[in-house]
Amino acid sequence: MPATDTRSDSRTVLVIDDDADFTATVRSVLEREGFAVVNADSGAEGLRKLRDCHPDLVILDVMMESPTEGYGVNEAIKHSGAFDDLQTPIIMVSSIQESPDDRYPRAPEVDMIRPDRYLTKPLDIPKFLEIVRKVVRH
Amino acid sequence: MVEGSGEAGEAVRIVVIDDDFAIRLACEQALTKVGYRVAAYADGAHGLDAVGELKPGLVVVDLKMPGLSGLDVISRLHAIDPSITIVVITGYATISTAVEAMKAGAYDFLPKPFSPDELRLIVRRGFERRELQLTSQQCELERELQRRRFVTFVSHQLKTPLVAVHQYLDVLRQLGDDPEATAKRQDWLARCLVRTDELRRLIDDWLTLAQIEGGLLGRQRARVDLAQVVPGILHSYDALAERDGITLRAEVAGPCPVHGDPTCVGVLIDNLVANAVKYNRSGGCVTVRGRRVGGEVILEVADTGVGIPADAIPFLFDDFYRVRRVGAPKVEGTGLGLPICRRIASEMGGVIEVESQDGTGSTFRVRLPDRGDTPDLP
Repeated sequence: MPATDTRSDSRTVLVIDDDADFTATVRSVLEREGFAVVNADSGAEGLRKLRDCHPDLVILDVMMESPTEGYGVNEAIKHSGAFDDLQTPIIMVSSIQESPDDRYPRAPEVDMIRPDRYLTKPLDIPKFLEIVRKVVRH
Repeated sequence: MVEGSGEAGEAVRIVVIDDDFAIRLACEQALTKVGYRVAAYADGAHGLDAVGELKPGLVVVDLKMPGLSGLDVISRLHAIDPSITIVVITGYATISTAVEAMKAGAYDFLPKPFSPDELRLIVRRGFERRELQLTSQQCELERELQRRRFVTFVSHQLKTPLVAVHQYLDVLRQLGDDPEATAKRQDWLARCLVRTDELRRLIDDWLTLAQIEGGLLGRQRARVDLAQVVPGILHSYDALAERDGITLRAEVAGPCPVHGDPTCVGVLIDNLVANAVKYNRSGGCVTVRGRRVGGEVILEVADTGVGIPADAIPFLFDDFYRVRRVGAPKVEGTGLGLPICRRIASEMGGVIEVESQDGTGSTFRVRLPDRGDTPDLP
């Protein structure tokens, strides 16, 4: 995949995950593709940095300090109205093979707070990058 | 819908099915009088339709009716709602018909003629039993849910280091040969070792925990003198303590015997000392005290370290709990050390407590029953 998109230099990805080793690899892979990467190791820090760095994409871990912290962050971003102006796409990641459908039963009122994508760790890197490109391009 | 309160609600809670108009009327009056909402039907087919629609908690049904028999009605009622409570009215109160009805799933039977009080008593008991049943079903469901959440949580904890290592190795394969990549490679390989070690310790601790819970560890009972074992455990931390400039002190007065599995006693003290060293500060001190006071043997492990935030203390002995500090470097650990200590202490008939001042240090105190110098228990 050529990383020749001239605009990709300006694209920023916010990675919210409390595992520094996981974020180290994600950072390396994304930087190689020309993204700028910002890390946050908790949900609260993630929300702060979201305001500061206006990322083009958020990678969000599910289980951080609390087992469902990521879902709380996802809902805070998509549902609270506080970040409506940002319209940031979110890719949720977790080592637990739980689909968002398990957590968000099909109902129109909750459909809007579903994450845009849900990926299982460890990431399949080529597939991960393909999804990142697809989501960010919009 | 809450059942069995005996108070009038919006929903019909009792359906009566009997071909005898006088019985239907008597039932309606007796039950409505104490606040139940009742609907009555003259035959099985209509009664069953109504039950499907009204979803009552209890059905009173006559065994001998034209059309569908009482026994047929019972089996179809259970097909509609397996949890429904059925009281059978029988005009010929022989043991065999009653037994047949109970076998088919009725809760109890009422021989004709019956007084309003008899009917009300049996209905009230029926609702009480139903409520108990629903509560216990709810509890069972809750337990199952909790168990499943726990399994998910444990597998997540075990997977986390594995995921980190896997992803390092995957990305390492595509790393170039420039100096920056070479440095990264060294760093990442070192991290892989750290994380595989973490995984190994997690599995070890998890196994210890499971063994204690399964009664595999702690089976052996022996007299263990703290005065003898504490110095040895402290010695094993000499190198680590020296590196960080920490002083290790043992203050155990005379023979200080506790009774338990020697391995478990060792694990208990070792885990507490390991924490006291790990969460200490340069130039700090770790003191292990042992004494016999008022029928108890008190073991204390005190440090002069970073302390524990007050809001973290209630969760300190929970499986996998880790104290997080904003901005502080992460301390390696499995989050199972203190849960193991708690289980060992309780296994020995004692408790573990903690006192901590955020910023100035923590004292973990294990209080065990003083069984004196009695010889080894069987």
